[in-house]
Amino acid sequence: MEFTLLFLAVAVVMLAAWRGPRTLALGLYAAVLIACVATYLHHATDTLKLSF
Amino acid sequence: MTQPRAITLNALSLYAVALVLAAAFAAQFMLHELPCPLCLLQRILFATLAVGPILNIRFGPRPSHYAMSLLSAVAGAVASTRQVLLHILPGDAGYGSALLGYHYYSWALIGFVAAIVLLAGILLFDRQFSDDGAAQPVDGGVFAQTAVWLVIALTAANVATTLLECGFGACADNPVVYELLEHAS
Repeated sequence: MEFTLLFLAVAVVMLAAWRGPRTLALGLYAAVLIACVATYLHHATDTLKLSF
Repeated sequence: MTQPRAITLNALSLYAVALVLAAAFAAQFMLHELPCPLCLLQRILFATLAVGPILNIRFGPRPSHYAMSLLSAVAGAVASTRQVLLHILPGDAGYGSALLGYHYYSWALIGFVAAIVLLAGILLFDRQFSDDGAAQPVDGGVFAQTAVWLVIALTAANVATTLLECGFGACADNPVVYELLEHAS
């Protein structure tokens, strides 16, 4: 579900960048990037299935 | 490099992002390979690469817009590097099929690194940041407008396909069915 929301958020950021005020686009972009990094870190804490 | 030329290059970069998103869709629907969570995150970060060029087309080129794309490219390179490392051991078949000898996450890493290099390259041209008085449409013209709407449409399409794949719960680590369609039938 988080990936659906992230795609939706990116689409909203693009629309804000194309039609909305610049500061809104910059703020939304920062929020989305932080959410992406948080999602990555959440998955990166899974154990790596390596054999050594 | 003049401002209009920089805007044309930004529009071209949007077509490149659109091509990547379309190629991912092609693999998903033609080869029936559903993207894993890390694959989806890389797609999302490719999409965020497009925000900088959209701002450049609308407001004119600024270093801060290129910096946004650089941050996205670095984040994407980190995510794709992790997936490459997950499958780096000899004998590991990797996730999904290979295209021209490389899996999609390897291509993604190459793409993100290429984006970093190209963004650094375009930042070398200072003249694009000064208003040289050249007449240019505010929205970059039809070529740029088409690129913007194409990349927005592909991102919106990803909202729908990701919802179909993952449903309203967490995405499966190794997805083989569209969760929402499975529950509907």
